[in-house]
Amino acid sequence: MRTRNADKEELVRQNAIDMLVKDGFQDFSMNRLAKESGISVATLYIYYQDKDDLIKKIGVAIGNNFFAEMLKDFSAAMPFKEGLKKQWENRARVALAHPKEAACYEIIRHSSHGEYILKESLKDFKFAMGDFFHNAVKRKELVPVSVEVFWSVAYGPLYTLLRFHGEGKSIGGMPFKFSKKTMDEAFELVIKALTP
Amino acid sequence: MTTDINHILIFRTNIQTKRDKLRIQHELDTLDTIQQWNIDLEDIDCVLRIVSDRLTPEQIISVVKDSGFECSELE
Repeated sequence: MRTRNADKEELVRQNAIDMLVKDGFQDFSMNRLAKESGISVATLYIYYQDKDDLIKKIGVAIGNNFFAEMLKDFSAAMPFKEGLKKQWENRARVALAHPKEAACYEIIRHSSHGEYILKESLKDFKFAMGDFFHNAVKRKELVPVSVEVFWSVAYGPLYTLLRFHGEGKSIGGMPFKFSKKTMDEAFELVIKALTP
Repeated sequence: MTTDINHILIFRTNIQTKRDKLRIQHELDTLDTIQQWNIDLEDIDCVLRIVSDRLTPEQIISVVKDSGFECSELE
């Protein structure tokens, strides 16, 4: 009688993420993952059907977890400035706390499994963000812009700062560390740009 | 739908190519005691994964071997 071992499964998941981030998609192998996790190949194939199944499941799990974190203490009915601030805080928290998962999610999202994991993990989040945007437009708290322009102005600066932080340096190789002060400064400029 | 992990059987094979897979596909598809099967052609062990609540490893091995492939259970 086989039993599931949650600790082992979590270790496998962590190792898979490490390997995907370090070696990329093409070099990833189930055999190597089993070896590095100290389990038999058979056990790994009991958890996952094959490499594609493993990658899809890991991508969806990271996505679900991230999007749930991003919706924490957030509601689409919030006043625009308050809601966007909450989004910045949540997104920064997730990116800073789980840099490897975030990198892994990006790798999978840009692979042939990208559409699948977005479809499976994005649903609720997409609706909440859509409602938030439309509520803000309706209440005239937001200047009328297309969704694309909105997104790039609303989140572009945050993701750029987080990227600098991840790389440890900003433009020209200057050392950089993300801080609340930097985030608040950028946020106020974004609000200035997006509110009437 | 979740699969009972005690109904999963794992084998090492030499089913390496899409053409090999087509050859075995007919045999496995016609066995209604198999709920689901797949082969990881990308893996070095060409792992065959079978979900069945009735078949024994020996029965699977014999089906695969009869189609001209090697097959042994992975523990």
